[in-house]
Amino acid sequence: MKQIFLLCTLSLGLCFLQSSCTDLPSSNEIFTDNFDRKAMLIDWADLIIIPSFDKYYEALLTLDEQEEEFKLNNSETNFNNLKGAYLDAYISWQKVSMFDIGKAEEIGLRNFTNIYPTNVEAIENNITEKSYNLALPSNFVAQGFPALDYLLYGIGSTENEIRTKLAEQNYQIYLTELVDRLLSLTDQVRNDWKHRYRDVFVNSDGSSATDSVDKMVNDFLYYYEKFLRAGKIGIPAGIFSGNTMANSSEAPYSKIHSKQLFLAGLQATKDFFSGTGINQDYIGESIASYLQNRMEETEGPDLAQEILNQWNIVEGLTADLSNTFVDQINTDNTKMLAIYDELQKATIIMKVDMMQALNIQVDYVDADGD
Amino acid sequence: MKRRQTSKILTLLVITGLLSSCDKDSGSTFTVENPVNYEFLRNGSSTVSFDGQTTRISMATELTAAMTDFDSNLESLLEMYANQSASGDDVNPFAQASLNESTKSVKSKVAASADFFSTNTVEAAKIKADIESWITAQVNEVYPNRNELASEGKAGQIADGTSARYVNAKGLEYNQAVAKSLIGALMVDQICNNYLSTAVLDENQNQQENTDGITGEGNYTTMEHKWDEAYGYLFGKSTDTGNPLATLGDDEFLNKYLSRVNDDSDFNGIAEEIFEAFKLGRAAIVAGDYDLRDQQAEILKQKISEVIAIRAVFYLQCGSRALEADDLGGAFHDLSEGFGFVYSLRFTRKSDSNDSYFSRAEVDGFIDRLTAGNGFWDLDANILNEISEQIAEKFEFTVAQAAN
Repeated sequence: MKQIFLLCTLSLGLCFLQSSCTDLPSSNEIFTDNFDRKAMLIDWADLIIIPSFDKYYEALLTLDEQEEEFKLNNSETNFNNLKGAYLDAYISWQKVSMFDIGKAEEIGLRNFTNIYPTNVEAIENNITEKSYNLALPSNFVAQGFPALDYLLYGIGSTENEIRTKLAEQNYQIYLTELVDRLLSLTDQVRNDWKHRYRDVFVNSDGSSATDSVDKMVNDFLYYYEKFLRAGKIGIPAGIFSGNTMANSSEAPYSKIHSKQLFLAGLQATKDFFSGTGINQDYIGESIASYLQNRMEETEGPDLAQEILNQWNIVEGLTADLSNTFVDQINTDNTKMLAIYDELQKATIIMKVDMMQALNIQVDYVDADGD
Repeated sequence: MKRRQTSKILTLLVITGLLSSCDKDSGSTFTVENPVNYEFLRNGSSTVSFDGQTTRISMATELTAAMTDFDSNLESLLEMYANQSASGDDVNPFAQASLNESTKSVKSKVAASADFFSTNTVEAAKIKADIESWITAQVNEVYPNRNELASEGKAGQIADGTSARYVNAKGLEYNQAVAKSLIGALMVDQICNNYLSTAVLDENQNQQENTDGITGEGNYTTMEHKWDEAYGYLFGKSTDTGNPLATLGDDEFLNKYLSRVNDDSDFNGIAEEIFEAFKLGRAAIVAGDYDLRDQQAEILKQKISEVIAIRAVFYLQCGSRALEADDLGGAFHDLSEGFGFVYSLRFTRKSDSNDSYFSRAEVDGFIDRLTAGNGFWDLDANILNEISEQIAEKFEFTVAQAAN
C-alpha cells in the first residue's frame, strides 16, 4: 500500500512538473538538488564530530588520571575529584553518542558505553568471579557509565561506605577495567576518524542509502528516537510499559545527574541539527540549512524552524523538572509525560516530513520487541 | 474502524440471508443467533470450554522461556515438553502448580491432527523429534558456550542491538526455532487440521447428538466442544475470552502473531475476520446449520494459514534487509523466528482440500537452504528473497505487502 501511494505521489508530482515547467532538466536529474552535501559532511566531521570525540577522549583521560589518584589514596577529596571527572566524561559522551557510524558502529561503542539500566547482579558477579569477558553482549549491562554510576554511588548506603568499599582490591580492579575499556574503545574510534574515516565519510557525498548523508541522518534520527526520547524520558516515565520505571532512568544511583545528562543530549541534538560547532562559535552546513534549501526550492513549510521550536518548548518544560528524574517520576510523572509528548511531536515532523523533504529513506524498523 | 463496521454489516447480511433461506435437503429454516461476543449458553450456563488448550499454551510458554534460563537442565526441559519423565513417570517441571497437576502435555499434541497425521505417524514422529532435538541441542551446544562470542561455526552470544542473543554454530536461536515451530505444529495443526475438520466435528453421532442437543459430561455437545477447542488454541489465554480482540497479543504464540499481522495496514481486519468466523461457526453449530459451520471453517483455514505465511515472509525479509546492512545479530534473530515460521508452513491448510499449502519436501527444501553450510553466517539475501517469493506465490499477498 505504502509503495503504491508513493508511486502515485511521484507520478502526480511528475505530471505536475512536466505541465508546469518548460525548461525541465533531463529526467534523471529531476530528483537531485543543488545543496552542497560535501560541504555539510566536511562541517559535520571537522566542526562537530572529530572535536567532540577529542573532547570526550580528553575527559576520559582526566577520569583515568583521577581514578589512578584514587587508587593511590582514597581520600574524600580524591573521591570527589573522581566523581567530578566521571560526570564530565558522561556529559561529553552525550555529545558523541549519536555518531554511531564508522568505527563506532563497527565496534559497538554505544553498547559498551551507555546501556542502562545496568545490571547490579552481573556487575557483582563479575567482581566476585574475576573471570569475565567485557566484550560479550551479555556484559553490555555490566560496564560503561551506568556501571560506573553504580560503583561510585550505589555500592554502599553512605558516601564513606562507598569510598571505602571502592578502595577494596576487587572493586578497584573492576573500576580500573571499566575506565580503561572506555578509554581504549574511544581511542580506536577517534583515531579512525582522524587517520582514515574522515575522508571516507566526506567523500561518500552521494544521495544513496549507503552514502554518508543518508546514513548519518538516519543515525541522528535513531539516536533521537531511541536514546534521547525513549531512553532518557519515555521508558522511565512508563510510556511503553504502562508502569513508571524510575530505576530505568539514566544514572539512577547518583540520582542528581539525570536531568543534566538529558539536557546535554538535547543540546547535542540541537547543535548537530543546526550545525553549531563544539564551542558554539561557528555555524556550518547542517540538516537545518539543507531543509532551508529544500524549503526555498519547493516553497514548503519551514520544517527546520518547526523542529527547533519543539526543542525550545522541551527545554522550557525542563525548567520545572527536578534534577533527579527518579524523584520527578515518583512524585509527579505528568511533567515527564508532557516532555515526552513534545519530544514525540518533533519525532513525527522529522521522521515523516523532514525525511521526505530530504528524500532520505528511514533505514531502520521498530524492532517487534521479541 | 470503517472496516470493522463493514464486516459487521456483511455478517448481518449473511444472517438475514440465511434466516429467509431454506436448507436444500430438509427444507427447514435455520435460525442462527450470532452473538456479539464468543459466549454461548444452555439453560443459563456457558457451554464454552477450552481449559486444555489454555493449559498447553501455558506449558509451551514456560518451556520456551526456560530454554534461555541457563539454570535449566536438559531433563527439566524435556519434562516440560512431555510433562512426564523419559520413563513415563509423572513429573513436576513447571513453576505453575496447575500445570504440574495436569495430565496434558505439549508433545502429545505436536503434529497430532486427525487429518494430517493419523495415518502419517512417520512424519509426526519426525516432527516431535525435531522439536526435541532443538531443546536438546540448546543444552548441549549453546549452554556450554553461553559466555563465548559466537562466530562462524561456533555457538555463543551475538549482539542484536543492545540484547545478547544465544545462537548455535549456524546462527540459529533454538528457543526461537522451538517457539515459532510450535505455533504451526501445535496451534495451527490442532485448529486447522483437527478441530475444524469434519472428520473430528462429525465423528460418530456428533451431528445427530448436536442437533438433538445431547450433552455429555459438560454442558456442551461434543461438536460444540470440538469447535471451542479450536478457538482455545488461538484465544485461550485472552484476558476476556469472550471478547479477545480487545486485548490481542495475550500469548507468545499464534495470538501474538495474529496481532502483528493485523497491525500491518495491508492485512488490517484479519483478526476481526477470524474472530467472526469462529463465532458465526459456533452459532451455526448451535443452530444445527452444518453448511454454514463448514463455510466458516474454510475461512478460518484460509486466514490462519495466511498468518503463518505472512509472518514467515516478514521475517525472511527482515533478515534479508539486516544481512544487507551487515547487522548480523539482528539478521540472525529475524531468521531464527523465520526458521520457525517456515517450519510451521507444513501445518497450513488449504480450505478446499485435505492438503497443506506446502509439502514436507517443500518445507524441508526451504529449511535446507536456510541452514546449508555455516547456516545464517553465509546466507545470501537472494536466497531469502527466493524463498519469500515461493511462499507468497501460493497466496494472494505479495512479498512487499508482508515485508513491512
